[in-house]
Amino acid sequence: MKLYLQLFFQFFHIGVFSFGGGYATLPFLYDIAEKYRWYSVKQLTDMLAVSSITPGPVGINVATFAGYTTSGVLGAVIATCAIILPSFIIVTVVSEILDKFKTNKYVQGALSAIKPTGCALLSAVGVKLLVTSNLHISGIVLLVLFLALSYKKKLDPLFYLGGSAIFGYLWGKFI
Amino acid sequence: MGGGYVILPLLTSELVDKKKWISQEELCEYYALSSSLPGVIAANTALFTGRKLAGAKGAIAAITGVITPAFLAIILLAALLSEIVDYPAVQNIFWGVGIGVIALLILAVREMWAKCVFDKFSFAVYLVALVLALTGKISPAYIVIGAILIGVVKAKFTSKCDGREVER
Repeated sequence: MKLYLQLFFQFFHIGVFSFGGGYATLPFLYDIAEKYRWYSVKQLTDMLAVSSITPGPVGINVATFAGYTTSGVLGAVIATCAIILPSFIIVTVVSEILDKFKTNKYVQGALSAIKPTGCALLSAVGVKLLVTSNLHISGIVLLVLFLALSYKKKLDPLFYLGGSAIFGYLWGKFI
Repeated sequence: MGGGYVILPLLTSELVDKKKWISQEELCEYYALSSSLPGVIAANTALFTGRKLAGAKGAIAAITGVITPAFLAIILLAALLSEIVDYPAVQNIFWGVGIGVIALLILAVREMWAKCVFDKFSFAVYLVALVLALTGKISPAYIVIGAILIGVVKAKFTSKCDGREVER
């Protein structure tokens, strides 16, 4: 029971504080991985990959996945509902005060600071993942290649995931 | 597939063009609002649309519609994954996919950076938040709360003439 409550509370607070869409939930999920050990950082990367190739919003998918890994189907239901509940409440309130909300200078002010913060939190996760994951030289080469390619052409996320999956498989098989 | 940003063109074709439930302007407004609210953008957009059409019940119906297919797919995959995760080939694939995920993450940061960091204020907030997130043991929630406070204080001391600057 205590686990379910913790699960609910943790994913509820992600729903309250993650600004900026899909990947914005990641800093919080990373934080949970470090504090509660429900899943490892390695598992989080796996979850992110699986969530990106599954239909539906990445943020919710990771919540479902994390809930399932932690405590089965019931955990998945709890985590999914918990991450959506704040949205439900906030959308209801904002719908009522729509025009005031858009023009309120404090809301605008808060957003002007929240947006770069969201970007910074995600950057920090990127740095932490780069430092902690076991990339080897080959991984770094592939990463640089991906980034160079992304400047040339906007590619589907599936290209990066698929490409790196094949790369990982071949690398393990032949080297 | 692919999360929040892929969903807008899909919503346009389904909700605006086919069903004519909401107008293109309404959809864009909901989407823009959703991205400045916490939570998952696609879920927020669905909630706004559902609410507009049929109140609280509509919102519940819309969100259930968005998450159910994904929920089932994830449970299936998760169950399957725990069966095969110990094979060396699967391990290698996941090692590779880890690189792809980092690449996607860097791309997401780059996209956010272009939208969110554009003046001295936002750059300063970015730096402070980054240092806090990297060094401290502070939960990201507190960093967000701190940002909200700073933003509100800033709004309090910004005269109305500068209002344009924050609206960007």
